[in-house]
Amino acid sequence: MIDLLVRRLLQSVVVIIGVTVITFTTLHLGGDPTYLYVSERASEEEIIATRAKLGFDQPLHVQYLKFAERLLLHGDLGNSLTYHTPALGVVLERFPATLELTFCALLLALVVGIPLGVLAALKHGRPLDGGIMLLALFGQSMPSFWLGLLLILTVGLKFRWLPLSGRVPVLDPLFAGDFGTAWANLPHALPFLVMPSVTIAFFSLARTARLVRSSMLEVLAQDYVRTARAKGLSEFRVVVHHALRNAWLPVVTMLGLEFGFLLSGVVVVETVFSWPGVGRLVFNAINHRDIPLVQAAVIMFSLVFVSLNLAVDLLYARLDPRVRLR
Amino acid sequence: MKPPLRETPLAARATRCVGALLLVLFSHAPATAAPAAAAAANPRTLRIGLSVDVDTLDPAELDAQESETIAHLLWGTLYKTSAEGRLDPYFAESYRVSDDGRAYTFKLRPDLKCENGAALSAADVAYSFEHAADPAMKFTGHAAGFVLPALQYAGIQVDDALTVTIKLKAHNPIALGLIAEMFVYCKAPYAAMSREQASTHVSATGPYRLVEWRHDDHVLLERNKSYALPAPPYERVLFRIIPEASTRSAELIAGNVDITTGVAPDQIDAINNSDTAKVESVASIRRIYIGFNQKEKFSATAGGRAIRDARVRRALQFAVDVPTLCEALLRVPCARAATMIFPRNDKTGIAADPYDPDRAEHLLDLAGYRRGADGVRFAITLQTPRGRYPNDVNMALAIGQYLDDIGVKTTVEALDFASVYMPLLRKHDAGPLFLTGTSGASWSALYDLADFPAPDGGANYTNFTDPEFYAGWKRLEMTRDPVEQEQIIRAMLTVFHERGTWLQLYFLPDLYGVSNKISWQPRADELISLD
Repeated sequence: MIDLLVRRLLQSVVVIIGVTVITFTTLHLGGDPTYLYVSERASEEEIIATRAKLGFDQPLHVQYLKFAERLLLHGDLGNSLTYHTPALGVVLERFPATLELTFCALLLALVVGIPLGVLAALKHGRPLDGGIMLLALFGQSMPSFWLGLLLILTVGLKFRWLPLSGRVPVLDPLFAGDFGTAWANLPHALPFLVMPSVTIAFFSLARTARLVRSSMLEVLAQDYVRTARAKGLSEFRVVVHHALRNAWLPVVTMLGLEFGFLLSGVVVVETVFSWPGVGRLVFNAINHRDIPLVQAAVIMFSLVFVSLNLAVDLLYARLDPRVRLR
Repeated sequence: MKPPLRETPLAARATRCVGALLLVLFSHAPATAAPAAAAAANPRTLRIGLSVDVDTLDPAELDAQESETIAHLLWGTLYKTSAEGRLDPYFAESYRVSDDGRAYTFKLRPDLKCENGAALSAADVAYSFEHAADPAMKFTGHAAGFVLPALQYAGIQVDDALTVTIKLKAHNPIALGLIAEMFVYCKAPYAAMSREQASTHVSATGPYRLVEWRHDDHVLLERNKSYALPAPPYERVLFRIIPEASTRSAELIAGNVDITTGVAPDQIDAINNSDTAKVESVASIRRIYIGFNQKEKFSATAGGRAIRDARVRRALQFAVDVPTLCEALLRVPCARAATMIFPRNDKTGIAADPYDPDRAEHLLDLAGYRRGADGVRFAITLQTPRGRYPNDVNMALAIGQYLDDIGVKTTVEALDFASVYMPLLRKHDAGPLFLTGTSGASWSALYDLADFPAPDGGANYTNFTDPEFYAGWKRLEMTRDPVEQEQIIRAMLTVFHERGTWLQLYFLPDLYGVSNKISWQPRADELISLD
């Protein structure tokens, strides 16, 4: 177990180094970022001076090595070129908002997607199965910005059931140790969370339902399920205790990837619903070629993604005794 | 007979218990979750929906338009530009210029205060200028990156507690307007702050003070009690960051914001047809034009060669129907620009070229560019940024079609603004035709003209080198007479017009959504003024 953890951590370091090199190179491929930080009337001398101020006058490999040195020796990712404050701080400040949204969306996708998948499998070939699969098809083919705007215009603007956009923070005060404020904010925050969570969850929900359905169909045809039924167990026990328990394994595998996918894929929804999260921040940072900020966000995302996958591997071994960690 | 008792399912009981628990717990939660929520519900709060967040609130480093908008509510300036483009006294009561035009002496109001209640003196004004100019600080914002170099700033001197003299390297006829772009703040709080602290911590001198800035979400201001000038009309101003235009419009129609910036043309009808808001349009100071890049490197192509001929450039001016483009693509009426000067300050008498495709074809024939057997005179590429200006790609495609109609086969290249288009433009390599916009000013024709201070000027993206035009600057340096200045400007712009340097389009109409509950008029300079 310890071996596995150490090996995975070392792999994570390699992954993160690779990711930073690729990000760094890609951001510089688009040309000299200096032009984004000078006035449109700036003279050549002013452009040269600004380039030197921002450190873009150095060769690319020197810039990268300086960045790597700062990161490894001081844990410093540099200051954001846009916000003029430490890049990691800017990312961490937005992270609770994205985490809140992603967590709610994943919860929604699982709570709704799994029962729908089970139901579709149990009613295989019947109209209900067709209806659920049609819904899944819509979920996977509907662009999230379109669904988001549709919800804003109907649920928010026409019926006035929910706020249209914005956020009341819950995790931020919680992470800061201010439980009172977090608790006080929670009821105000929930209405703001509903529409963006539904928008994000719709895609994952559809995928989860399809996966659970196919997995359940496979498991329901197994001999041990037939045996369970022959023993006279209730259908509920057969489905939940015998079938779903085994059908659950591919869903767990997907879970880690899905959380990572949701985490990095919220940019559109964060924009539509004015949700002040990391996705929007990275999108703007790429547009402004704010390299330290993009690097900080990419490292952060990579760490989360790698950790989640490790957690899923450990969980998998726990759920399926046949799997041994090596 | 009583019905038999039925056991409630476990799940239903659990749900009820959790529901009851949440009800009890949440009933003790305070009604307001955050200052912004409370402010938003207060009728004395003005709520403004912005598309982009502020990048910094360090007065020495401000650059983005959104930051400048908020900054004008947080800090004062020595003079300020009115909505009509007048330069009015603000923190300074008066000023005088030395005989050689290289020293501007300002007399401050005696009642100015910092946010903490301390008196604001000439030393604070001097600090505001010197701090921004300090090379060790490595500022790249509007003050250090543009205003001070353009001003030809040489230093500042404190004459007495209420008098400062700003020194310039040379006489500069637009100095006062540039000085009016420098924010004045107090030395004591800012000298004690690191650069990182200054980007988020505000010590105001203007009508409002900062209450809260939650990045990418909102900026909340409230009246600055230390502000000695007349109090602003709203107790609080809440800037909400709403990046998506459709969401901003929905929030406006729902009554959740009072003003929104950057209304998308396709949402004008939806807002105007609502009972709650309307769209206000104003021709801004941003000039949108098609540049003819005359750089030698473009001579390798037929189109690039053709547009090096001034007769061709003049001919193409008549090929585009600008008012129709505005109606169709921007959904608001606009007049075609005649010159690069903001119309209110344009005293040149030069008229905008009309849409006359027959004349365009005739002039091209005369210039020797006749239609070939395929109906094509020459082929050319028109580059445009994607998403930089409202409907920019469609605008370029429509212009390309107008040029096609007169036999100029036009290929439109839509490029990502930040990574591709801007570097090309800044290296003066966009083209041979390119769509862009540069910002002018509402207060000075000379400022607008300063896109072309010299053939190698930063914003001379067309590589326009006519010596007759640039000789005008020497003549402007020699005179202080406004009438003579106007004559020189007229002569310069006549040359510019006759050489067809830009294919003039329009002064970009800025669209604002305004709630019916308030009375507010937009300004040409894109500032959201509450005066």
